[in-house]
Amino acid sequence: MRSQWRAEMRAAAGTGTGVRKGAAAEPGRELSLPAQVSKLSLVREHAHRAAAAFGLDEDRCFEFAFAVNEAVTNAIRHGSPDDRGHIHLSFLAGDDHLTFAVRDYGNFTPPTGDRATSLERGRGFELMTRLMDAVQLCVTAGSTTVRLSKARP
Amino acid sequence: MSFFYIGDDAAGARVEHGDDVVILVVGGEIDYAASPQLKRRIAEHIDAGARGLILDLSTATFIDSTAIGVLVGAVMKLHELGGGSLAVVCTEDNERVQQIFEIAGVDSLIALHRTREEAVDALAMAG
Repeated sequence: MRSQWRAEMRAAAGTGTGVRKGAAAEPGRELSLPAQVSKLSLVREHAHRAAAAFGLDEDRCFEFAFAVNEAVTNAIRHGSPDDRGHIHLSFLAGDDHLTFAVRDYGNFTPPTGDRATSLERGRGFELMTRLMDAVQLCVTAGSTTVRLSKARP
Repeated sequence: MSFFYIGDDAAGARVEHGDDVVILVVGGEIDYAASPQLKRRIAEHIDAGARGLILDLSTATFIDSTAIGVLVGAVMKLHELGGGSLAVVCTEDNERVQQIFEIAGVDSLIALHRTREEAVDALAMAG
């Protein structure tokens, strides 16, 4: 399973294999990932590889992989997987931007304003906005998608 | 494959600095998968009476927002207990971990030190 997922990630992380250009609503081919914390390291590794293949420098590759890790962590931590226990990821290499999206199937609940909670948690989304050029949160009944974009310098 | 480890260097710390200072060495990738273990180990030391915690992250290659949240939670717990401090050691060449602390904006809560000696001195001053 893992090697199959790796192969799919490699295909999607390339320079547009299987990606319909301009299809902003459905960026790239969606990849299925078991919603397990043990997969986070693999996600970071692939995000870094996708960023390098897109042509980002080492600092930007790190920032991209860091933000992707935060988005996937949130999806595993606060979201819900599909009925097979998976969440869905995609990478889209556009002309100017590399875009990553993660979708889960929970009903989005905004973070509470409780001070103690906000000091310990809720830092991930802020970090994503600092490190990426665009962060989109798309909430529908039954699914939450976070989309992150990083521009080519 | 994710790689994470956590270990005590409490014996060395206690000889020099008394019973209430603990050094934890945390290395590898400190992400959401590793955070529960980090949280548990810190809580065990605080429950056992440690009021000075030094986390040596010199060999950490990655730290995410959930792990930083665990450290902030430990600082708050020590404050609630009426004193105590947490200091982080991160060598100068560990730029990635430093960078994450900087962009996370927790520098007013958690001080980064270059060496363990510097961290121990800072705890002594705080105590």
